[in-house]
Amino acid sequence: MPGSSGRARGALERDVLACLAAAGRPMTTAEVQAGLHGRLAYTTVLTTLTRLHAKGVLTRQPAGRAFAYGLAAEMDEIPASLTARGMRRLLDSGPDRASVLASFVADLSPEDERILSELLGERGHAEGGERT
Amino acid sequence: MTPAMWAPILAAVVLAPAGSRLGRRLPPSVSVPLLTLAALATAVATGFVLAVAAFDAMAMLGPVAALGHWSVASVRPGGTVSIMLDVAAGLIVGVLLAAAVRRATRIGVDIGHAVATCRRLGPDAGGLVVLRDDEPDAFALPGVRGRVVVSTGMLRMLPPDERRVLLAHERAHLAHGHQIYVQLAGLAAAANPLLRPLAREVERGVERWADEVAAAEVGDRRLAARAVARAGLARARSPVDSRPGLALHAAAERGGVGARAMALLQPPPRRRRWPAVALIAVTLVAIGGAALTGSTTEDRFERAQADYTLAR
Repeated sequence: MPGSSGRARGALERDVLACLAAAGRPMTTAEVQAGLHGRLAYTTVLTTLTRLHAKGVLTRQPAGRAFAYGLAAEMDEIPASLTARGMRRLLDSGPDRASVLASFVADLSPEDERILSELLGERGHAEGGERT
Repeated sequence: MTPAMWAPILAAVVLAPAGSRLGRRLPPSVSVPLLTLAALATAVATGFVLAVAAFDAMAMLGPVAALGHWSVASVRPGGTVSIMLDVAAGLIVGVLLAAAVRRATRIGVDIGHAVATCRRLGPDAGGLVVLRDDEPDAFALPGVRGRVVVSTGMLRMLPPDERRVLLAHERAHLAHGHQIYVQLAGLAAAANPLLRPLAREVERGVERWADEVAAAEVGDRRLAARAVARAGLARARSPVDSRPGLALHAAAERGGVGARAMALLQPPPRRRRWPAVALIAVTLVAIGGAALTGSTTEDRFERAQADYTLAR
């Protein structure tokens, strides 16, 4: 099924890009693979990185015998002001707007905040990386 | 107004509190389409019967009756109270129609903005666009090829497996056309304010729907709940906050992030038959009332025209 393999490829690309963006620094194939908790094979990660580089999403520079991949500099098409925040303000502000953006999380009520802190079994801690 | 004309209005009154309650007893992938359909059908049916009532009031006017060749006396039996109701219906339908048109225009403009923004976003990885921004934020941007937009601030907050939940959730919004349901239900609520609770339930429902898709995709409901919780807290505790207060309140109300996380800790919702049947039944009452109104009105005017011809 070409559709399902295309979907799988899209998911791989998203995971790899998200991993690099979260790290905030260039990473080698091995580092990305480790960053994804070794869920993917080395060759899969390498293929995906190469494809993203070809698309212009990533830049790469030699690092020892391998390449280190990083996020491409802000694309020319995106004005510097167009941050996620700016886009949200543009599209999702005011009570009269149709609110076309579907946010992952909306703002919390104090009750929500209490429930969520309890769920994570932590207090005032929001740093990623650890597993509870 | 005839009894059949009250049916769609009654359906809207019943749906306002009952629709949300019935919807929550169904899996979101079932409740969202059903609630949207119920809202749309009820809004259209209400508008139709109000327009017919308004037409009745107009038909009583001498010049209009002469133009339509019908006898004023036989257009409709009924006293002054009924005429007053019809005039009121005319005013209401005018206001509601204007609200619906305004809303539809607003939706068109905002979707246009979103589509144009999508096109300007440059290269993406499987539909994902990362923006350098320290404020944790993530959303689905609808478009011809919709994009998932996530800030680096949000990605840094989540461990790798929770990032997968976030990405799967936003992809689900785009893949299942959630925006279409939200906008149609919003339009219905603009055309009939009684349906506002239904539109809010659809907004809540699509978030639950995307949560369920994401949980199924990562195969771990607890993990999905943790991702929602961590992202929610990260956003709430973000020092950067430039959002206007009003939008913030609205979002907190419709989000229910805590309830979403709790729902993910429960087993997946079961498919029940009766809440769906109840929703469909109320929708059919609204449609039936409008259909009956249409056919009896047609008969009435045919008779009135026959009487007009006879009188001459």
